[in-house]
Amino acid sequence: MRNRRLWIDRLALACVMLAAWEAVGRIRGSYWISSPTLVVERIWTLMLNGDLWFHGRFTLAEAFGGFLLGAIPGCAVAMGLRSHPFVRSAFLGVAAIGYAVPKTALVPLFILWLGVGPGAKVALVATAIFFIVFYSTLNGVDAVDQKLLSSARVFGASEWQLLRHIVWPAVVPYVFGGLRVAVPYAIAGAIVGEIISSNRGLGYLAQFGASDFDTTLVFVSLVTVMLIVLSVSAALSQVQQRLLRWQTGSSQDPHAGAT
Amino acid sequence: MTMKRDLPETIDAGALLQLRQLGISYGAGTSGERCWILRDLDLDVQEGEFLTIMGSSGAGKSTLLNLVAQTLQPSAGQIAFRGKVVGGADMPADPGSSRQIGYVTQDDNLLPWRTVWDNVMFPLTLAGKASASDIERVRRLVEQVGLTPWTKHYPHQLSGGMRKRASLARTLAYNPPVVLMDEPFGALDAETRAQLQADLLDLWASEKKTILFVTHDINEAIALGDRIVVLSGSPGQVVLERRIDIQRPRDPELIFKAPTFAGHYDAIRSCLRAGSHP
Repeated sequence: MRNRRLWIDRLALACVMLAAWEAVGRIRGSYWISSPTLVVERIWTLMLNGDLWFHGRFTLAEAFGGFLLGAIPGCAVAMGLRSHPFVRSAFLGVAAIGYAVPKTALVPLFILWLGVGPGAKVALVATAIFFIVFYSTLNGVDAVDQKLLSSARVFGASEWQLLRHIVWPAVVPYVFGGLRVAVPYAIAGAIVGEIISSNRGLGYLAQFGASDFDTTLVFVSLVTVMLIVLSVSAALSQVQQRLLRWQTGSSQDPHAGAT
Repeated sequence: MTMKRDLPETIDAGALLQLRQLGISYGAGTSGERCWILRDLDLDVQEGEFLTIMGSSGAGKSTLLNLVAQTLQPSAGQIAFRGKVVGGADMPADPGSSRQIGYVTQDDNLLPWRTVWDNVMFPLTLAGKASASDIERVRRLVEQVGLTPWTKHYPHQLSGGMRKRASLARTLAYNPPVVLMDEPFGALDAETRAQLQADLLDLWASEKKTILFVTHDINEAIALGDRIVVLSGSPGQVVLERRIDIQRPRDPELIFKAPTFAGHYDAIRSCLRAGSHP
């Protein structure tokens, strides 16, 4: 019942905020901040004429591609460094420098190297995601219970088997922690890339709207991006719950603890 | 480093497990400057023997098991299994290489992401696909430790005693001839412990294992062991070796009723006291 109460509260708060937005829009004029009704109307039109899908799929593809290109190596490198302490400390030094560089400042370089097409955006997203996933996976690898590793060694586990059966399952929660932080960054990276130079994508749509004094179009782009991030995060947490059934929670059994 | 050169490549195959001048130290420098946890330890364990190891805390009981399990690298001496040298100061420690040794540690070390069944099968799956007869054996083992209704549960859903049973079944699952146990029942309540001790004796009798069992409980040591060794001192050495002649089958809960119990108890206790107040 607490859950239901929570949702009622959330819904009420959302309604109040939307009403306030609408009110300000009507009083001060929709020119400055548009209004929820205008935004919904415009989303509907853009959905019908296919513009939203046209721009949205570029942003999605760039974000998704960059996400994979960043997350997979980030995870793999962090796992691979486990048994190589020397390489690890060397790599961590370099990674700290890479992490310190503001990724958006790299966009001019990426455009120079990869052109104004999707390549530059994918590269931007991938560099941002790599570090997020790398560091969170690294935390997980460091937190693996040494006693589990040692007991598996006594059972005759090879290095590869340790990685697969002990390190990887132990690291999954950390990887997901990183991935969930990374999702908004992936979309943000794609959007920023598009704003800087592009003729398509949701970032371009927002940029175009602003330059055309079309506030509603800017908000349409923002709302779409928000919906994408929310739904991807929700999907990710579903997958996470399935993978982490072994943790306390959903699989609780009433007989637990009884001998 | 000079002492090990005198050791032969093989040792006469008298006992199943032979420790010769085994030592482990930390720190740097010559052997005199280093800090020795165990030194010049000689111990023979016969096939099928139940050996209990006692000692004041810090005497190196767990270290000794870690050396035998090869999760620690000895600084001196040799370990021989069936007369063949398998570990020592001049060989890199390679735990699990022989798959002759099972180790039940103080913590149950079950993998939280595997069900009880998958945990028990884990050592077998590491070695490849388990045969039908292996699976049947494990099924019987799980039955014997009373976990059959719990095979699909995750470790966090079990009580401490049940996790300990699962851990024991997992170690016996791949059928190692030698089983090391480091205060496995230390953290359990008295009733559960007595039940597990009785089950362990049954398993030991039916599975014909050689067991090295570390405990700080004199009753437990006498109830389970064929022989008790007491480690003491710094560096740790064997200061007492005592054969327990109480007839089997024994009832661990009523072991104090055995006529020779008091004699064993006093001898061990005075030895432990002498060790803890040098």
